Amino acid sequence: MVDITSEKNPRIGVFVCHCGTNIAGSIDVKDVVEYAKTLPNVVHAEDYQYVCSTPGQKKIEDAIKEKNLTGTVVAACSPRLHEPTFRRATQEGGLNPYRFEMANIREQNSWVHMHEKEEATAKAKDAVRIAVAKASLLQDLKPKFVDVEPAALVVGAGVAGMQAALDLANAGIKTYLIEKNPTIGGRMSQLDKTFPTLDCSQCILTPKMVEVGRNENIELMTYSEVEEVDGFIGNFSVKIRKKARGVLTPDEAEAKGIVGGGCNGCGDCEAVCPVIKPNPFEMGMKPRKAIYIYHPQVVPLIYTVDFDSCIKCGLCQTACGEKKAIDLEMQDEFVDLKVGTVVLALGYDIFPVEKKTEWGYKQFDNVVTSLEFERLICASGPTGGHLIRPSDGATPKRIGFVLCAGSRDNTGIGKPYCSRFCCMYSLKHAHQIIEKIPGAVPYIFYMDIRSFGKMYEEFYYRIQDEGAKFIRGRVSNILEDPATKNLHVYAEDTLLGRPVDVELDMVVLAAAVQPSAETEKTRRLFGVSCSQDGWLLEAHPKLNPCGTTTAGVYVAGVCQGPKDIPDTVAQAEGAASAASIPIHLGKVELEPYFAQCIEEKCAGCGMCVNLCPYQALSLVEKDGRKVMQVTEAKCKGCGTCGAYCPGGAIWMQHFTTPQIIAQIDAFLVGGEQ
Amino acid sequence: MAKKSKGYKDTKLEEKLKDRYFRTSESHPDFLEKVEEISKTIPHMCYQCGTCTGSCPSAPRSSYRIRYFVRRAVLGLEEEQLTDPDLWLCTTCYSCTDRCPRDIAPTDVIMACRNLAYQRGIVPVNFLKTVQAIYSSGHGVPNNDANRAARKRLGLTADPPTTHMYPEYIKGIQKILDHYKIKEQADKIVAEAEKK
Repeated sequence: MVDITSEKNPRIGVFVCHCGTNIAGSIDVKDVVEYAKTLPNVVHAEDYQYVCSTPGQKKIEDAIKEKNLTGTVVAACSPRLHEPTFRRATQEGGLNPYRFEMANIREQNSWVHMHEKEEATAKAKDAVRIAVAKASLLQDLKPKFVDVEPAALVVGAGVAGMQAALDLANAGIKTYLIEKNPTIGGRMSQLDKTFPTLDCSQCILTPKMVEVGRNENIELMTYSEVEEVDGFIGNFSVKIRKKARGVLTPDEAEAKGIVGGGCNGCGDCEAVCPVIKPNPFEMGMKPRKAIYIYHPQVVPLIYTVDFDSCIKCGLCQTACGEKKAIDLEMQDEFVDLKVGTVVLALGYDIFPVEKKTEWGYKQFDNVVTSLEFERLICASGPTGGHLIRPSDGATPKRIGFVLCAGSRDNTGIGKPYCSRFCCMYSLKHAHQIIEKIPGAVPYIFYMDIRSFGKMYEEFYYRIQDEGAKFIRGRVSNILEDPATKNLHVYAEDTLLGRPVDVELDMVVLAAAVQPSAETEKTRRLFGVSCSQDGWLLEAHPKLNPCGTTTAGVYVAGVCQGPKDIPDTVAQAEGAASAASIPIHLGKVELEPYFAQCIEEKCAGCGMCVNLCPYQALSLVEKDGRKVMQVTEAKCKGCGTCGAYCPGGAIWMQHFTTPQIIAQIDAFLVGGEQ
Repeated sequence: MAKKSKGYKDTKLEEKLKDRYFRTSESHPDFLEKVEEISKTIPHMCYQCGTCTGSCPSAPRSSYRIRYFVRRAVLGLEEEQLTDPDLWLCTTCYSCTDRCPRDIAPTDVIMACRNLAYQRGIVPVNFLKTVQAIYSSGHGVPNNDANRAARKRLGLTADPPTTHMYPEYIKGIQKILDHYKIKEQADKIVAEAEKK
């Protein structure tokens, strides 16, 4: 039953924070305190330099005890920053933590009215008066706890997802790792080397891939996608679509009673397959069959049938023989998972740089993207590591690198943000051609070189020292000499103040990056917000960089915004750590803001059920009639139901109608209650 | 001429080279505002990548650097901007505007500066001859006999269906130019230039 009795004789304490000059610089704090003392129910008011500091919190505790307070008000910054701090202080003083109310006189006042001291002070008084009015009617509330399913889900098995899954698994948590492609490894496995150390990318990634494949706590589901998501922190139910790969793993074969069967990656099937398709892993520059693996180091080493191009001739089945690994009639399967927390690591795609027509990508053979360059220079790539011009197979000697190809672009065609790693990989590319091709000269067309990471600036010096030519100017146009297929690159050397026309053998475009194609769909399934550019939005860029606005869902890697490998791995470790906390605690606390139904008043009309954006409400039979019931763990306390309810049967905890009316009255009547 | 400047005998050049620092006293604080008001574009967002100069058909053939004009507008270098003869080298082809990654219209910055220069009477005389040609014929480049012959060969009328065919409308054009005192200002500048 809901307790709607409120305090008979409220005794409120008000604490006004200076926040250094953040508040005191534009608000007369002393004046606000004097004003607070005149407000009804206020028995104590004081100001302090930093109320959030230990002595500041002590003042709250002491005042509660000495003045026998029934509620506290702190006029300071945003509740997002310090509400938990002051709630704790209120609790330490012996009150229920929900007997605390905050007035935001920093973000909503001193910061926005920096130069209007008088008006800002008047507004601060309003805010304090409103907060006191509510504080006088606050009630004791008890937080709810829900149990947490001891398992985690990681979506996306690039380097971020792999790292997050490994960390979770090594912390003893059962982890499901979902990957849409047939193999794990992501973009990093397509790279040749990594800056600034020039390690072979595959060499440092493959051990991690193998570890993921072997870890007992990781259940790896490749060629799978998230289909449906239901639930809330601690209790997510996720439906996974296991796409039909047409090939049985040894385990699946054993389950079907085929002894010693299943795919062992021998490749006999691939040899006989008559269908030839471009291999997307090699950026379409190498062929693959309809039954394929992307590259020799795939994990798991299982072939996959591309049913879009398979002609079902059956030659592979014959070649596979006794292993009976191939099933060309295989259908998609669905698996239901119960997990407590989720890490999203959805990765990125290359911006379709052909949209910027002036650089001639897809018009001229010798204009390639950086990802294509990575495959062309990679020893396991389509050319065996020999960099060649696509037009004639010749070795290019003069190679141009066009930085910011679509990044930092406000025209609406490109991307307004900096893609953050292009400067560095283009320096790396310049180094690679100097190293591999005698006499090769890289021309780097740049606007700024952003070498901000550890040892990055030193790497920049090194490439300069090796003889790369840096031209400060954005490439305005590229034209092809039809006879030689050489490229004329036009720009202004802004340091010379002179237009340049450089004839080059090949041009590499450092294309902008954008969220991967699946990001939008997947983030909607998990209810995660995104920024204007489509990158997943973290809960707070500084205070909660791995969390999202959906409790229990965390983000890692480039899906949150462009970042290089070290930053991606670091964030993945952070996300894994955050995702493991609720699981290790075994239960999560829910703010007691959920709606309550006063059953005597409920007419069972069910309108609220349809209005609820979180599917938190339902109608249940009770004593022979229908009444609304709240699933408290799902309720976010938005108040939609309470505002609608025609019978006034819905009671919003901590935002009760009397409390809100008191606030409105306090604002309108100006303190005279 | 070239020899002279190498020996730094050119007094004008010498004056220019005496002090090459940017000093805030040279900056006219409302110049950028005026340019933005007329041009309806945002030169203050320029990050000096040089795409404009790189795209410019004038730049490889002249000393014209559109990037400088955008920069000088941002810094409020009104005197330098409006007295620079390069201001009149732009062909207004709009290549720079098409390619500017910051979505600025450098061409419109030039057009705005030309407007401001015109108000102050700083215009090359040949541009003003165009004004006079429009005033008398309705055309910046009036038709000539060679064109007439070519048009006839192509099966067209000798004169195009403009003020050439309907000279009675020239009066209307003159009325517009008079209203904005364009002819008056042009005549004044030409007269002053001829005096010199």
